Amino acid sequence: MADEAHDGGCLCGAVRYRFSGEPEQSAWCHCRSCRLATGAPAVAFLGLDRARFAWTTQEPSYHASSPGVRRGFCPVCGTALSYEAERKADVIDIHTATLDDPDRFPPTGTYYGVERIAWFPATGEHAGTL
Amino acid sequence: MSGHGGGCLCGAVRYRVRAPAAWVNLCLCGSCRRATGAPAVAWARFPRLRFALLAGAPTLHRSSARVTRSFCPTCGTSLFVEGAHLGPDIVVAVATLDDPAAFPPTMSAHTGDRIPWMVPLPGLPEWSGDDDKPEP
Repeated sequence: MADEAHDGGCLCGAVRYRFSGEPEQSAWCHCRSCRLATGAPAVAFLGLDRARFAWTTQEPSYHASSPGVRRGFCPVCGTALSYEAERKADVIDIHTATLDDPDRFPPTGTYYGVERIAWFPATGEHAGTL
Repeated sequence: MSGHGGGCLCGAVRYRVRAPAAWVNLCLCGSCRRATGAPAVAWARFPRLRFALLAGAPTLHRSSARVTRSFCPTCGTSLFVEGAHLGPDIVVAVATLDDPAAFPPTMSAHTGDRIPWMVPLPGLPEWSGDDDKPEP
């Protein structure tokens, strides 16, 4: 079912999204920026085709966390939702834990494993540098 | 300066704690996962008198009858949890401490809610889950 729709959103429901099709990738990230953006020890994200993704409510607020990068979060409850980089404008990364069914897309790779907090378990093979 | 500093991604919120953590709890519940956008969150509990907000004004969000969460209004970082069940203490997101490696979890909560692909941390005692009592 390549065109099956998947929904997700923030804790309070003010920001919701929908995408269809299969993610281009599903991976862990241990980088310090992702950890601080969420307040969590590790993050998992889905790389999605921007053309098959839409915010179905208001858009999130954005924070430019590094040059050419913006991260989206809910202005009401703070949930970290998205990561977008100018260098890959056709992709939007969504934090997997914000999906209504996060079980559905297990990560298959790992980014920035070298930055992993020592007490957090290793999450598998290195997938490269974003 | 003694203690441990911490803050959000953009630096608008900074804080310092000057006491050992009473506990560090790796929480796997759906509310914590949604609040942060991550599969697990580690929280460290400190006496409020040993906590100082040095910069910024976190936005409060009451996510349930007893839990108030707060986050940076500029960058969204989830920072703190407060609630009557925590008494005079404040709970800090470990990942926002400048040295999160110094705060390994001492227990885990809501392990039954774990996303199947979230790698388990073996050997952690489970929080009793008794909502009528303060968390240990």
